[in-house]
Amino acid sequence: MKPLATELDEATVAYVLETRKAFEDLRQVAAQLAGLLVLEAAGARSGIPGHPMLKSAVHLHAEAADAVQSARATPRARRHHESLLRACSEIRAALAAARDTLAIDPILIPVRAAYAHLQAAGAELPGFEMVSFEHGCCAVPMRSTR
Amino acid sequence: MNNYSLWVMEFAHVPNYPYSGLVYGAHNQGTRRLPYCYILIKGQGKIAMVDVGYNHKAYGEVLATMFGGRDWHPPDEVLAECGVAPKDVTDVFLTHSHFDHMGNIEDFPNATFYIQERELSKWVWTLSLERRFRWLMLGIDPADILRTVDLARQGRLVCVNGDREDVLPGIDLHAAPDTHTYGSMYVRVRNDRTPNSKDTWIFAGDLVYTFENLRGNDPNDPEYIPVGFASGSQFNLVMTTEEMVKRVDGDIRRIIPVHEDRLKDLFPSRVTKAGLRIVELALAAGEPSRVR
Repeated sequence: MKPLATELDEATVAYVLETRKAFEDLRQVAAQLAGLLVLEAAGARSGIPGHPMLKSAVHLHAEAADAVQSARATPRARRHHESLLRACSEIRAALAAARDTLAIDPILIPVRAAYAHLQAAGAELPGFEMVSFEHGCCAVPMRSTR
Repeated sequence: MNNYSLWVMEFAHVPNYPYSGLVYGAHNQGTRRLPYCYILIKGQGKIAMVDVGYNHKAYGEVLATMFGGRDWHPPDEVLAECGVAPKDVTDVFLTHSHFDHMGNIEDFPNATFYIQERELSKWVWTLSLERRFRWLMLGIDPADILRTVDLARQGRLVCVNGDREDVLPGIDLHAAPDTHTYGSMYVRVRNDRTPNSKDTWIFAGDLVYTFENLRGNDPNDPEYIPVGFASGSQFNLVMTTEEMVKRVDGDIRRIIPVHEDRLKDLFPSRVTKAGLRIVELALAAGEPSRVR
């Protein structure tokens, strides 16, 4: 990956740095919800409503949503910011459904939509990866080949 | 007589992969060509695979531009070299949940997928941890979790708890907890289907990357050296290696590392027009060779 400053203007670099953690947190919440859905679909007894991970997901989402709302998007970052806002909204819907229902679809559909928005955001600007490749088993040593 | 035909199918590669990533502690020792492969098992009316590779749509460009991944080809192209289509695959054994092993689930619409329950449950557990523990999520893609939900809903996900014999006739799954990952497993094919088979093959996933993990660097004084990466323990990797070696009666050629580029030195193989190598380990009765 090239340094951000070689690809982006200064204000957009600031935007990237401002929203990167929020992006990762939203990715984490989407993964947490997906994890709960796996347990539910696989027949685990723990259930989604009341699961301890749900509480931390709500907290993480609230922090991320605040950060995204307050981020100052430059013209270069406008579509990225819109994708993050949509991801926030979809995850909010999924969390609300998770509090109220044992059904999978009311949670899965918005989580899937949120994931698509995060993927779209990741394609808009450098520095937003859906998978942490730099820590992957096949990636750690590969960094030195760049 | 072989009950199953067995092939190692390359679907992509990295030209220059640092050796230290393959063998624990082998720093500053250059690079190697690293193939990405999955295993095709055909026989007894079944078509099975060990792992399914990664999804180029999701990862290919990133891998290519950041890490040197090359020549990815989809399963329909790769498997066609052995006369198989992805829709024909009946069973898939996922050795672990890293994106390059289970990232292409959706290309196998009719397969039942087997994974260790511990791999899934610890996967979900790590998601519950705070941000500073994110290293533990290495190589995991949220999209794979979503795809796993679909598998479970469709009744195509089997969570295995520990070892399971004869998951298909003559094919066993063996748990390797807290090794390369939390719930890795390896696959044993007893190709004569006898309980104490002398015709055993082991597909090691990422428990072994290369021959040196099995025999060390000195042929006259062999030793086990674990792979360069583990979220479990190196101790468990070494002990699991011993377990696998015992299961093949010490014949380490029968433990197949899918990232080893030198399988071609031990077994018949050919390179396809796409530049991908097929290694043929065994042929069942009536199955034509795909490398000659």
